[in-house]
Amino acid sequence: MRRVVITGLGAVTSLARGREATWSAMLAGQDGLGLLTRLHLPDEPAQLAGQIAWDEPRVKRQTLCETWSRVALAEALDGWNPALGSRRMGVFQGAGTSGLPIPEAYLAALRDGLPAPRMAEAAYQTPCTVTDALAAVIGAEGPRSTIMNACSSSLLALGQAWERVACGDLDLALAGGAESLCTTTWAGFSSLKAVDPAPNRPFSRNRAGLNLGEAAVQFILEPLEQAQARGAVIFAEVLGYGASLDAHHPTAPHPDGDGARRAMTQALEMGKLDSSGVDLVSAHGTATPANDGAECKAIRATLGKAADTVSVTSSKSQFGHTLGAAGAAGAMAATLALRDQVVSPTLRLEDPDPDCNLDCTPKHAKERKLCAALVNAFAFGGNNVSLALKRWEGR
Amino acid sequence: MTDIVVTGLGLVLPCGDGVEAARASLASGVACFAELPAELGEGRGAICASFNPVGTIPPMQLRRLDRCSRFAWVAAAQAFDDAGLDPKSGSGDRTAIAAATMTGGSEATEAFLRPYYERGPAGASPMVFPNCVANAAAGHLALAFGLKGPSTTQLEREASGFAALDQAARWLRMDFCDVALVVGMDGLFPMLGTVCGAAGLLARHGDPDRDSGRGFLCGEGAAALVLERSEDATVRGARVRARLDALAHRSALGPSGRASALADAVAEASPRTPQRWIGGANGHPQLDHLEAALHDTRGAWPAPLHPKLLWGEFGGSGAQLLAAGLLVPAESVLVSGPSSFGGQWALRWDGVQG
Repeated sequence: MRRVVITGLGAVTSLARGREATWSAMLAGQDGLGLLTRLHLPDEPAQLAGQIAWDEPRVKRQTLCETWSRVALAEALDGWNPALGSRRMGVFQGAGTSGLPIPEAYLAALRDGLPAPRMAEAAYQTPCTVTDALAAVIGAEGPRSTIMNACSSSLLALGQAWERVACGDLDLALAGGAESLCTTTWAGFSSLKAVDPAPNRPFSRNRAGLNLGEAAVQFILEPLEQAQARGAVIFAEVLGYGASLDAHHPTAPHPDGDGARRAMTQALEMGKLDSSGVDLVSAHGTATPANDGAECKAIRATLGKAADTVSVTSSKSQFGHTLGAAGAAGAMAATLALRDQVVSPTLRLEDPDPDCNLDCTPKHAKERKLCAALVNAFAFGGNNVSLALKRWEGR
Repeated sequence: MTDIVVTGLGLVLPCGDGVEAARASLASGVACFAELPAELGEGRGAICASFNPVGTIPPMQLRRLDRCSRFAWVAAAQAFDDAGLDPKSGSGDRTAIAAATMTGGSEATEAFLRPYYERGPAGASPMVFPNCVANAAAGHLALAFGLKGPSTTQLEREASGFAALDQAARWLRMDFCDVALVVGMDGLFPMLGTVCGAAGLLARHGDPDRDSGRGFLCGEGAAALVLERSEDATVRGARVRARLDALAHRSALGPSGRASALADAVAEASPRTPQRWIGGANGHPQLDHLEAALHDTRGAWPAPLHPKLLWGEFGGSGAQLLAAGLLVPAESVLVSGPSSFGGQWALRWDGVQG
C-alpha cells in the first residue's frame, strides 16, 4: 500500500469562506450559528442555523451545494492544474440533500395554487451531478463515487478516496461533501425532537439536540512520493479508515457505542496505529442526548487508558450539523489541528455530562502535542465511519 | 488478486419474486408494463404487483418500511437463503452492505413533505422521516439480518449497482468483511413520474423499444447478490453461482465522451467474446445510443438482452442487470452498464451456473 497525504483543503462554512479564515474563527471560539433566513418556516420552533453567508446570484443550473463545492475545490487546488493522466484522477463525494429544494418548491407551489416550477431540472440536479461537475473541473476521467450514507457520507468518501490512492488505482483523489439547508431535513429533525432551539451544547449535561448547518469541504489526496516530488504542501497523512453498522435502531446509536467502537478500532488497525498514539478525536458530537454519551463510551472502549489524555472536540458546536458534509468538516478540524498543534474548542461546554468524562476541549482552543487523530461520523441506519489521520512531520 | 464469487441471489421484480420468475421473464421477452395505480403515479410503468412480503417481513416492521426497503428486505432474504447463510447466527458481524439506488429515500420524502406542506409541523411524521435518507434501506437490512460490517449506499444513476458491487469486492479483498450483500432497490412513487415526464425522459406512447428513441418507463424492484471470497465459499462448501472475472469503470468529462468511456470499460472487462451479453438499453436515446455504439463495433458478439425493456428503468439501479447475467448457465456473461451520469461500467461473470 502507498502512503497517502492530504495536499489540498478548501472550505466554505458558516464561519467564513475559506479554510484559513474558517480555522482562525474556530480557534477564536466564534459561533457560526445565526438566525435562519435560507428557509421560511415560521411555524418551526427552532430558528437557529449554521448558515453560509452567500448573497451572490445563483448560478444557473447549479445547486448551492455545487456552487460551494466548486469554490472549496478551487481553494483546495490553490492554482494547481493537475496534469496527471485523466484516468488516474477520481472524485469521491458524500452527498446529503443536494437537489431536494426543487421538489420542495414544486410541492409548495401545488399547495399554494401557484404555477409549478419546472421539474425537469430535478432529473438532472441529483447529488451525483455535483460529483460530475467537480470531475469536469479537474479533468478527472477515473472513478467517481457518490455516497448517500446520510451524516457519514463525506467521511466514507474520504475513506474510499484513501483506499483508491493507497492501492495504486489513482494518483489524485478529490474527496469531500456539501450540504445546504432544506425543508425536508429541517422539518424532519424537528419532528424527531432532535433539534435544540437554542445553540447546541455537545457533551453537556443539559444538551438538548442539534442545530442544522451548511458547509462544503473538499480535500485533495495524493500518494506521498508524488506530493514530495512536486513540492506540494502536505497538511496531514491519511492512515486508513473503519466502517461498521450498529444493527441496533433506525436512528438511535447503540447505547454503548458498540458500532462506533468497531469503526474506530478498524481505523486504528488499518492505520497500524496504537490506541496510545491517538491524541485527538474529532467527534461526531451532535449534542443529541443519545449520541454524545454513546460516542464517549465508544472512545473510552477503543482507546482504553489513552482516553484519559485524548482531546475530543465537536465542530458541530460551531457549524451546526452539516449532515452530508459533517464528516469532511470534522476531518478538516482534525487535519488543521494536527498541522498547527492546537485543538479547536467545543463551544458552550460549561457543565460537562459525567457520561462524557473525557477532555472535550471546553470553550477555548487548546495547544498541545498532536501526533494522530481519529475523525468520527455516524448516521441514520446505525452507520459508523472513522478515519485515522497522522501529523505530517516531514517524513 | 483474490477471487470473488457470487453465492446467493435474490430478486423482486415486476415479473414476480424470485429467480425463477426472472428467468422465465427474460426467456419470454414479455414486457411487464401496465397502467400505474393512482397512488404510484400517472401513466404506465412496471410495478411489482405480485410482491408479497408476508411471511418474510414481520408486520410491525412492514408498517415502518418504505416501498423500496420492503423490496430490498425480501430480495436480501432470498439471497441469504440461496447462499445458505444465516447472518444472525454469527456471520452478520462480518457482513457488509453495499447498496445501490437511484430513488431510495425519495418516495419517503414525498410522503413526508405532502402532509407537512398541508398542515405544517403537525403534519411532519417522525415515523416517515428516517426513511427519507437514501441509506434507510441499508439500515433496515442491518437490523433485519444483524449485519454489522461496513456499509455504503451508492448513487450513480442507472449504474449504481455496479458501483456498489465494486465497493463490496474491495471490502472483501481488504478483509473488511467476509460476506458482502450487494443490493439495488427502487420503488415507484408519484413524483418520480412527474420529474421524468417533465424532463422528457418517458415513453409517451406505447412501451419502450430499443432504438425507437421514445423514452423509458419507470420500474421498481430489488436485486440482491451475496458475494464472498472464493476460498471462503469453498471452505464452507457453498454453491458458487458465478465468479467475478472483471469489473471496469470509465468516466467521461461530458456527454460526448460517454460512448467511448463505455466502450473502453467493456474492452477492459471483456477482451474476449462473451457467451452472453446483458445490456442496459432502456428505450431512451441517452442510454440506447451508448449501447448501440457498442453493438456497432461488436458484430460478432451475441445479441444482447436488455432487461430494462421488460422491467423498466430503475428497479434496482443496475443491480438487476448484474443479477440478470446470473440466470442462465454460461461460460461467460458480459453486463454493460451505461449511465446518464459520467461513470460507465462493464462487468464480466465467468462460470455462470444459472
